[in-house]
Amino acid sequence: MITAVQQEVTREVFLNFSTTAKVVFYVVANAAIIVFFWGSWLKVRKYRRGLPDNRFQFLFRRLATAGSQYVANRTVARRNPIVGLSHSLIVWGFLALFIGTVILTIDEDILGIILPQYQFFHGAFYRWYSVVLDVLGVGFLIGLVAMGVRRGFARPKALDYSRVDRSQNETSRGGFKRGDWLFLGLLFFIGVTGYLLEGFRIAGTGFPEFERWSPVGWWLAGVFQGFGWVGDAGLDAHKVTWWVHGAAALGFVGYIPYSKAIHVVVDSLNIAFKDPLAGKRLPAAAEGADHLGQRDLGDFTWKQLLDFDACTKCGRCHVVCPARLAGAPLSPRDLILDMRQHADASLAFLAPGHEKLANPGFGDATAMIPGSVIGADTLWACTTCLACVEACPVGIEHVPTIVGMRRNLVDQGEIESMLQSTLENFGKKGNSFGKSGRMRARWAKSLPFKIKDARKEPVDVLWFVGDYAAFDETVQETTLKVARVFDAAGLNFGILYEGEQNAGNDVRRAGEEGLFEMLAEHNIAELEKADFKEIVTTDPHSLNALRNEYPELGASYPTVHYTELLVRLIENGSIKIANPMGRRVTYHDPCYLGRYNDVTEAPRTLMALCGSTVVEMPRHGKNSFCCGAGGGRIWMDDSALEERPSENRIKEAAELTGITDFVVACPKDMSMFRAAASTTGLDSKLQVTDVIDLVVEAMGLDLSDSDDKEQEG
Amino acid sequence: MNIVVLVKQVPDLAEEFEVNSDGTELDEDCLSWVLNEFDDHALEEALHLKEETGGSVTVLAPGFEGVEDVLFTCLAKGASKVVKVGDFDVSPDSHSIAAVMAKALGEIAHDVVLTGVQSVADLDGQVGPLLGANLGIPHVSVVTHVSINSAAKTATINQEYAGGVLGEFEVSLPAVLGIQAARELPRYAPVSRVRQLMKTETIDEVACDVGMGGGLVVKKMSPPEVVGHAEMIEGDEDEVSEKIVAILGDAGLINK
Repeated sequence: MITAVQQEVTREVFLNFSTTAKVVFYVVANAAIIVFFWGSWLKVRKYRRGLPDNRFQFLFRRLATAGSQYVANRTVARRNPIVGLSHSLIVWGFLALFIGTVILTIDEDILGIILPQYQFFHGAFYRWYSVVLDVLGVGFLIGLVAMGVRRGFARPKALDYSRVDRSQNETSRGGFKRGDWLFLGLLFFIGVTGYLLEGFRIAGTGFPEFERWSPVGWWLAGVFQGFGWVGDAGLDAHKVTWWVHGAAALGFVGYIPYSKAIHVVVDSLNIAFKDPLAGKRLPAAAEGADHLGQRDLGDFTWKQLLDFDACTKCGRCHVVCPARLAGAPLSPRDLILDMRQHADASLAFLAPGHEKLANPGFGDATAMIPGSVIGADTLWACTTCLACVEACPVGIEHVPTIVGMRRNLVDQGEIESMLQSTLENFGKKGNSFGKSGRMRARWAKSLPFKIKDARKEPVDVLWFVGDYAAFDETVQETTLKVARVFDAAGLNFGILYEGEQNAGNDVRRAGEEGLFEMLAEHNIAELEKADFKEIVTTDPHSLNALRNEYPELGASYPTVHYTELLVRLIENGSIKIANPMGRRVTYHDPCYLGRYNDVTEAPRTLMALCGSTVVEMPRHGKNSFCCGAGGGRIWMDDSALEERPSENRIKEAAELTGITDFVVACPKDMSMFRAAASTTGLDSKLQVTDVIDLVVEAMGLDLSDSDDKEQEG
Repeated sequence: MNIVVLVKQVPDLAEEFEVNSDGTELDEDCLSWVLNEFDDHALEEALHLKEETGGSVTVLAPGFEGVEDVLFTCLAKGASKVVKVGDFDVSPDSHSIAAVMAKALGEIAHDVVLTGVQSVADLDGQVGPLLGANLGIPHVSVVTHVSINSAAKTATINQEYAGGVLGEFEVSLPAVLGIQAARELPRYAPVSRVRQLMKTETIDEVACDVGMGGGLVVKKMSPPEVVGHAEMIEGDEDEVSEKIVAILGDAGLINK
């Protein structure tokens, strides 16, 4: 039977402590804090060495984001509710216990010394404090156990640390694993010893009634009573546990800056300082350096260095990366981790467990990184699909870092020959095909009408056609249909004819910044000659450059995707759907449309308006899976890949039941997926269809007159 | 070691050519000009020689519309100096180029002169031999490998023959070498670097007033005439052979 005694409603921080013991505690505590601040200073000093990057606009909003992110953990929970909940339980528990400790410090070490009459750690405050911390502490332990079970037993692919660019015997990541378990274990140990401490205190002080507000401690004390650990025995156990708990907690404080625990400090800031257009609008290249692009650590910005520290190895980027899935030697996670280890190599003794990387230049702050510390084939493998940036819960911007280093590979001449000749084609002809600019509008010759030259007469809509739509023979058929639909809708539209050149989106992402500027300046000069209200394009890559990147060069035009325009034309009655068909289709979101430009609804609305039922693939919308063509990959050799991303994707679609069409809304996709459907033999099951095909059919548009009318004309 | 490279512009084969109204030349309006590919190889080989032996690479090009872009690209690839020679309204022929270059090389130090073995424009291959003759120094054509010997007095060069036969020669320097292929594919010139150099570097000019004319007159130029189509003969071996015999017989080439 538990008997309660009456005493003051509080607890003594230093219960039965001698003065010597208190002094020892404060010396150790201050040492831990010094170790923490020294480590933090090393980090800050590293960031201060980074190049400037103005991320301080909307500072208040950014800091508010950091705060709300800390509490709500939304990015962690996204697409992963169980992990999100477990993580939230840990964070809330951690925050509660941290704030609880701060409150104790204020009450004991500040008020207790200077204004003891204002000490508040007693009475009602103490009761609420006890119950809140006790309950959130339970959540903290549950969250840690869940994470431990996931890591130890469920073993998701995301937490598999195997490298993709070298065999397992060339490196060891055992230190990573030990670090993870140390982090989880230390937190768990601190939580458990905290409860034991509480139980021993309650049992040792004779079960004061108000301690029922610490339900876990009260229950544990009851258990201890069964063992006879009450009274002095309880107080003795309390003293030992106190020191064990204190040592673990102080050890944790000192350990934070040198370990994975740094993410509790760095990551909400990293999210707050994230560029909302990261990867979508790349930074211009630095001018005046003796080299181009990011060559050594001195070329990286403070935000990039912060990115490297922010990674928790959660592996979400690793799992979604199309290059990694295709067997290419790139994992966005490993790229970031390699950069972190390279940047920290001179202080690696502070963080034992780092890999021993044998890459030339590793750990030398002035060494060339692209092509040595980070392999050229790793950097060239990226499709710039942005899935890593989108998936990262802590705001790491992988793609701009990869492109920054590609710029230096271009400077070094580390380019594969197919890409080099394509870039030379762009330089000479303004398109990847190396065809004469005068052949750009040749596809339009078979139309029964002449498309207006927007440079010569005013139009409402300027159609920026793009390279693939204009030159690729398999795509031209689709381009013609778009023209026919625009014409049938009575749209006043025109094109730039030979004035148009490639928008430069993928040239830029291949790291050829100067060529991008050249193409953009040319296009902007041509656009200046034209009189139009808005730009439409079928090409999401051109859309991204026009919408997100040209404004930086002084050319801001409203730019829409043809799916957006077509929805508008149907809704305002310009296009009549005479013949809605009941087809069951699936839709592939192009990276540059969905992830880059948030256009996921318009294509689906359009298909629905045409009478089609869209059955979603598991990876859709912003979580779509790259076809493998972006970032200049379409101009590189993909024969070394184990499985092309486009083949992986078409197989995903083939798993769906009752689907007739694989609908695309990007000229490159048409080219990529037709090929993939054919190489996988799935073309008998699935037809690769452009969304315009559905529109033509639903309109009941008769296209058979094109040749006759041409002759009449 | 003073390495000189001669480059010139040629019409880009990506364009669809049209013959002008006189029927003697390509229509200027349909042409765009690019660096001759063989000259690009000559530059690439010169840059490797520079890396091996030290010294400088000076690039000379006949002055013609758009030559500045070509020369800045050469600088971006690693040339030490670029020079525009003379000023031409139309693309100069081999004799004119050899004449102006010989004049320019009177003022420019040269231990070895590299040029593309020929150009796609005329498949003439004469600039090298004519220049060697004008300067009174040796010339070797269709060179696939160059190595400069000690003290830069001689060079060992290779020529490739049909059937995988390789010829090795020693030539005294200075000499003119017509480069067939560099040891590596020509490097890429990043556009950022080209644009940067356009702001900071200048092109030297050598004025040369040499008349045009190599003695050749183009009388007629026309696209190849389409005279018929291939016929695919289908069937099994016997049917196909019978048809072939019949066709040859109809043409009077064999007795039926």
